[in-house]
Amino acid sequence: MNRFRRSALCTIAVLTLLGCNKAPDPASGIQSPQAGPSATAPAESPTFKVLATSDLKDAQPLEGMVEKATGVKLRFSFGGTMESTEAVLTAKTDAHAAWFANAKYLLSDPQGQSRVRLQDKIMLSPITVGVSESTARKLGWTDPAQAAKVTWKSIAQASAQGKLTYALSNPATSNQGFMALMGVVASASSKADALTAADVDRRAIADFLKGYKLPGDNSTYLAEKFIEQQGTRVNTFINYESWLLTLNNGGKLRERLVLVYPHEGVATADYPFMLLDDSRRADYQKVVAYLKSPEAQTWLARQTLRRPISSEVAATVADIFPKEGMRVELPFSPDRQLADGLIDAYLNEFRLPIASTFVLDTSGSMEGNGRRAQLVQAMHYIAGADNSLTGRLAKLTNRERVWLLPFSDVPGPLTFFQVPGGDPAARGVQVQQDSEAKQKVLADVRSYADALRMTGSTALYDSVLKALEHMLAQKKQSPGYQYSVVAFTDGENNKGRGLAEFKAAYAQLPEDVRGIPVFMVLFGEAKESDLKEMIATTGGRVFDARKTPLYAVFKDIRAYQ
Amino acid sequence: MSKVGKVLLTLVLLAGFGAALFFAMQGQQSEVAEKARTEAVASATELTGIIALDVEPFFADERVRKLLADQRLPVKVTRVGSREMAAKVVAGSMPDFFFPSGVVAASQIVDAARKANVPMAQSSPFHTPMVIASWTPIAGILVANGMAKPLGDRTYGVDMVKLTRAMLERKRWKDLQGAAAYDVSRGVLVSTTDVRRSNSAAMYLALTSYAAHGDVLTDRATARALAAKLAELFKRQGYQENYVNGNFDDYVSIGIGKTPMAFIYENQLVSYALTRKGVGADMVLLYPQPTIVNKVVFLAGSERAKALADLLARNADLQRIAVEYGFRIADTGVFMRTVKPTGLAVEERITQVVDPPSFDLMAEMIDVVTQEMAQ
Repeated sequence: MNRFRRSALCTIAVLTLLGCNKAPDPASGIQSPQAGPSATAPAESPTFKVLATSDLKDAQPLEGMVEKATGVKLRFSFGGTMESTEAVLTAKTDAHAAWFANAKYLLSDPQGQSRVRLQDKIMLSPITVGVSESTARKLGWTDPAQAAKVTWKSIAQASAQGKLTYALSNPATSNQGFMALMGVVASASSKADALTAADVDRRAIADFLKGYKLPGDNSTYLAEKFIEQQGTRVNTFINYESWLLTLNNGGKLRERLVLVYPHEGVATADYPFMLLDDSRRADYQKVVAYLKSPEAQTWLARQTLRRPISSEVAATVADIFPKEGMRVELPFSPDRQLADGLIDAYLNEFRLPIASTFVLDTSGSMEGNGRRAQLVQAMHYIAGADNSLTGRLAKLTNRERVWLLPFSDVPGPLTFFQVPGGDPAARGVQVQQDSEAKQKVLADVRSYADALRMTGSTALYDSVLKALEHMLAQKKQSPGYQYSVVAFTDGENNKGRGLAEFKAAYAQLPEDVRGIPVFMVLFGEAKESDLKEMIATTGGRVFDARKTPLYAVFKDIRAYQ
Repeated sequence: MSKVGKVLLTLVLLAGFGAALFFAMQGQQSEVAEKARTEAVASATELTGIIALDVEPFFADERVRKLLADQRLPVKVTRVGSREMAAKVVAGSMPDFFFPSGVVAASQIVDAARKANVPMAQSSPFHTPMVIASWTPIAGILVANGMAKPLGDRTYGVDMVKLTRAMLERKRWKDLQGAAAYDVSRGVLVSTTDVRRSNSAAMYLALTSYAAHGDVLTDRATARALAAKLAELFKRQGYQENYVNGNFDDYVSIGIGKTPMAFIYENQLVSYALTRKGVGADMVLLYPQPTIVNKVVFLAGSERAKALADLLARNADLQRIAVEYGFRIADTGVFMRTVKPTGLAVEERITQVVDPPSFDLMAEMIDVVTQEMAQ
């Protein structure tokens, strides 16, 4: 013990010394991924890398707290639940530990089990339905006795009747979204125990999804949008209790959220902290001991509003959590077929189908530095045959409508592709193989991309404008789609309208255009600042394909579409 | 000075010098001896052990570390799931000892060791019965439906035959008599850890097989058929935690909504109560009738490890510390006196104890359940 203490003290001393020599770190806390064994660097204690799900972003100050208390230089990197699970399963992460809201899929897979050396639950937060007070009153859910009887079935019914319109993160990529679907499935199946793929009642899911008006792929984005759109587009937010309590305490909501815990079961995130790299066991144990200490548990409870795993601390912070009655836990089905089938069905059948115009830069500069190849590769990726979890998320889905709009000096002609729908069973879900008709459409998109020729200048704003006008016209004709514009470009606009003229023209478009976001995917040396300004006008996001892998770009675009 | 005087003086001086030298040497020797002793204690090679999570806090206890160091038996232990220990049996790179939870895991290790030609000596310094950690309202419902009866003040005996039957009949909580306090549509099930990985879940399989069969299983065909039938008690739970404390953690931190009944080692709740000097007001122990007593089995693979086994079983201080971690020892009085102040009600005498089926049969039943669960 003494020897251990001494070496721990030495470590702390060394760290302190290093800390003194170094310039203060920027507030970001994100380290460059590879410091590398440089000759000048002293024997610095190596970073303890933790892959965390993105809903844990509010716990990032723990980096400093852990380092101060234990000397372990903990650094987070964040990702969605599904992609992080896949990264650990396939050993495609160099993280030493992982911290997920829910790791049950990872831990019910033999391969996942073999990757996780140790695990400790750190805190709890149930997935909860936050209903705007006025809506809750109309539904009779402000009465605690009534609220206690609300089931996922009543939530699906209220959604189908248009009474409940909600924000929820993508069921195909996030734990919150997926577990909400599972709640509906469990409620509709009236089965007592863990579900299987055959138990899925498709109509119940369809009913529930009628209320799904605000999608997104992370809680930070959704919380911002919910504040903007509460009372107009959405009246309900389904998320972890911690995020809903934070909104209620934040003072930015138009009205308070009434927290409803569906009677037949909620799924509680239990935040297991998992050791992946056995050589860092000692660091892991120090970090876990700290995270479970009264200091960290109290901080997590008070600052992030998650329930402590430690029952003593729970007693001391009981005042900050709702005192609702018993929360019944939904049995978690580890059935991979059910999960894959449900995600597949969500993407290809249940979700509002996507209709988008892809604006493709075919100016002469695209010929250089393999940019054309990058563009073609991107098109092959979304129209490809990658059936991995992440591949399926990025890929064109059943019922999807795509127009391709190449441009250089002027916007080119629009070419239309329609992905056919599937042939779903009445009950049960399973991953559907691509039909021949679908395979043909995908192949057509790929050959279209192969035939692209690059020449001329870049009339980017004219082309985006044309795409927006086209989407507007389509939306009027067929409103049952989620419309967006996705533009791929490598450079500055040097032909046609400039940014100011674009903004002026945009302002003239009918109000409906505001529901059509523009996603920009950058190659080469595109000028990000102008494009960001454009996005600030149209809504949407800029993705840098130079820094982000394509699957991540498309997974994100999909989540916002 | 006369010659004689000179000689005398020389002799006296010599004697004095000799005495001084002698005493000096003496002192040095005892110092050396003391130093050698402390050095020996400090430098005594650590015994390496692979242990179950249940005994990890025991070995981490400062008092235990000091006692063992003083006896020149310091240990360096690594926590590994009991059922994964057999894979660590590799001739030539063996730890000094294994300390798995339960006789089934122990037999598995002994079996692997026998095949690798490594002798192992078994002993069981502490034990704990398998119990169901539950809640007052749940116990009330079980009593109302004839599946349990009060044993003492806030302890209950659960009729495993009736409970197993109700579970296999897929009764839901809300279908039971007087279920107003827990009117949920979930099925009546005891939650366990993952049977593929943990000893406690294997004990649950052993116990429910006894309840369904009416006796300890001895015949392979019956065991296989019964395991196939009992697999649903695991499968219907959905996801099961695959580390020993997972199920218990859910019981104490999420509570009745997730875990109305948790199959645990009694020492888990007892040590929880002792650490916190109390338990939640609604927490009660249900003693399955019959039940299985889980022995923490010490497997010594070296002479020094055998000495450690002996120490663990005989040293009164070590035994008392084990009780502080919730284990029972041969002296039940010590256990009862230690637990009393926490307010957790425990049964003094564990009656109706049965043995799990043989190791081979158990392994085969777990295989059958594993296959069923994969479907």
